[in-house]
Amino acid sequence: MTSTLKQPSRTRAHPWNARDIWCAVAGAVSLALAVGSAATVAVPVNSDLGLVAVLPYPFWVGVLIVNVAFVVALRGDATGPARRPVMLWLIAVLVLMLFGAAAFVTDVPRGEVAFRHLGIADALSTSGGVDPNIDAYFNWPGFFALLATVLRATGIDPVTVALWAPVFNMGLWLTAVGVLARYLTKDPRRRWLVLWIFCLGNWQDQDYLSPQAFGFFLYLVVIVLLMGPLAAKAPTFPGFKRAGLKSWWQARTPADDRPGHRVGALVVTLLLIAVICASHQLTPFLVLIAVTALTLSGRVWPGRLPLIIGILLVLWLVYPASTYLSGHPPLADAGLQTAIEANVVDRTTGSAGHVLVVQIRIALTLILWALATIGSIRDWRRGCLDIRVVLLAVTPLLLFPVQAYGGEMLIRVSLFALPFIAVQASSVLLPTTGGLRLSSRNAVVLVPACVLLAVMTVTGRFGNAQYDVFADDEIAAVQAVDNLAPPGSAIISAAHPTPWRSQDYLDHRYRTIEDLCPSDLSAATCGPLVYRYAKHNPGGGYLLLMSSAESSLVLQGQTTPRSFEELENWLKAQDGVDLAFSNSDARVYRVAP
Amino acid sequence: MNARTVSRPTMAIALTAVVLSVVSLLGLPTPIQAVAALLVLVLLPGQALTRLMRVTDLGLGALLVLALGLASLTAVSTAMFYLSVWSWQACVVAMGAITILACMARARQEAAS
Repeated sequence: MTSTLKQPSRTRAHPWNARDIWCAVAGAVSLALAVGSAATVAVPVNSDLGLVAVLPYPFWVGVLIVNVAFVVALRGDATGPARRPVMLWLIAVLVLMLFGAAAFVTDVPRGEVAFRHLGIADALSTSGGVDPNIDAYFNWPGFFALLATVLRATGIDPVTVALWAPVFNMGLWLTAVGVLARYLTKDPRRRWLVLWIFCLGNWQDQDYLSPQAFGFFLYLVVIVLLMGPLAAKAPTFPGFKRAGLKSWWQARTPADDRPGHRVGALVVTLLLIAVICASHQLTPFLVLIAVTALTLSGRVWPGRLPLIIGILLVLWLVYPASTYLSGHPPLADAGLQTAIEANVVDRTTGSAGHVLVVQIRIALTLILWALATIGSIRDWRRGCLDIRVVLLAVTPLLLFPVQAYGGEMLIRVSLFALPFIAVQASSVLLPTTGGLRLSSRNAVVLVPACVLLAVMTVTGRFGNAQYDVFADDEIAAVQAVDNLAPPGSAIISAAHPTPWRSQDYLDHRYRTIEDLCPSDLSAATCGPLVYRYAKHNPGGGYLLLMSSAESSLVLQGQTTPRSFEELENWLKAQDGVDLAFSNSDARVYRVAP
Repeated sequence: MNARTVSRPTMAIALTAVVLSVVSLLGLPTPIQAVAALLVLVLLPGQALTRLMRVTDLGLGALLVLALGLASLTAVSTAMFYLSVWSWQACVVAMGAITILACMARARQEAAS
């Protein structure tokens, strides 16, 4: 690994050989197996382990073949790994298999949030303006403005965009990580392995149609610019004595000797940071922390960049986002104890299968962090540890105790650290001397390691498939509610996720039974609360009860099938409650006002 | 600066932006409209702005085309929403104008060098 900026070198061109062709064919076979087998999975998924339990064995054969093909291609020959198109093709296959698996199972996007984001973009384009009083999204509307413009101008089906967003976002992220890896190491094998591990460790499921996925891409581009045109060369660190520090700081020199190029890169960086500030609440803080750490390491040329980012961030918070922040102090739920409870304790409850999925997610993260730690020690001993990579891997953790972030902070922290964890973990899995061909023993270790990570990632990513992969009947029920419910009425679903709010975002009051009855979902306690809420709403209410939402409550240990049935029976026996729509996976009840 | 000092890629990007902006506004069948709109909204402005930086690394250049295209469209769309003047047609015009202005700036660079 280089510790100073080098112009990225290109992989040597060498002729196509039988190995390259066989690897490419193996990739095609893997993809065919994965697509063909995923398409046979029945929805709704009836396992609390998620997709991993219902994907047929040819899918896993495909996973095995693509990993073997990758290791063979990575091993290559004495001149280097297989040709670039072969490596790119194998990565594309892996992305389609791991991140497009659900899209091969069903035409409906997973999860609730992508639907909601489509609804926000629709509400923006319908109203033509931003009303920050609506909710938090309208205080950070950048991504939704982009989405509204793209959807209206292109005429692409919004649901298709949401369905394939994970694959598209992974493509964007991998492009950035690929360029990043070129700045960090001259070893082409290590670059490809970084990309592979980045895919295999990406269980966080944050690549759906969302501001955070967009923000993460821009974050990676900012880091690329700081590692490239805006990098600085610093002399050996003299220790923390004041005089030494000052001379060390002043002795820094720009890594790129073209001033115009540096100015251009700085302008681009500032534009990207402004867009990040306008698009997502959390990402600007992660940018600020990362840039500050890199600047303090002496490896970023514009020394005042953290100050400028801080000013941009504060300006956004005190003006466009002030409406939201006045009612939601950002440090209201700060503290390590709160963070651990929200991010770990609350998530490790539920059915046995669900708990196992959560444990696998934690184990996958810990395995990668352990590999990265060993890799860092190994690089340090070899005198080629790049402190910037370590800083970028570790600094996201600083945000963990600051905000519980709805129990998702640890997920975000692990995602932002992942590219740099992958860089360090790749060190362990390759021969000690960079550029050397993998031995057979290396290859034999690498294949099962990659397959194991792939199985764990599929388990982690799609572990909630019982309630976040929706059946066509459930989508039909949501559309029925949209058609039945007049403006002003309340729509009450059993739980999140529900694939609603993709249209008429502002026309209804959306609630879930779990929100209305946070402590007790029994018929005796919760029934009257839900009924009164719907009854007293001036426009009346619609109860939307779907199999997936019920599974969500059961899997997470909030109710039992029997208790939920009792609740539904109690509700439908009340005065003014009629069944308005039903099919095999959903019922809709109208509650007259 | 005269037409002979402007490089062919700069001229091609500017002309393509003009043509695609017009045809996008007039409307095309869905798949072609999607391609034309994505070109004029994201890829052409991204390419025109990236060329101003004179990036020599192909990978960094490709990354900046995507990042600058998406970021500038986000900035333009968001500003239009805050000013209550948003329409997708206005965004097409604005991004077309950004592309042409960036090409003019690039042409000046080329003339000066």
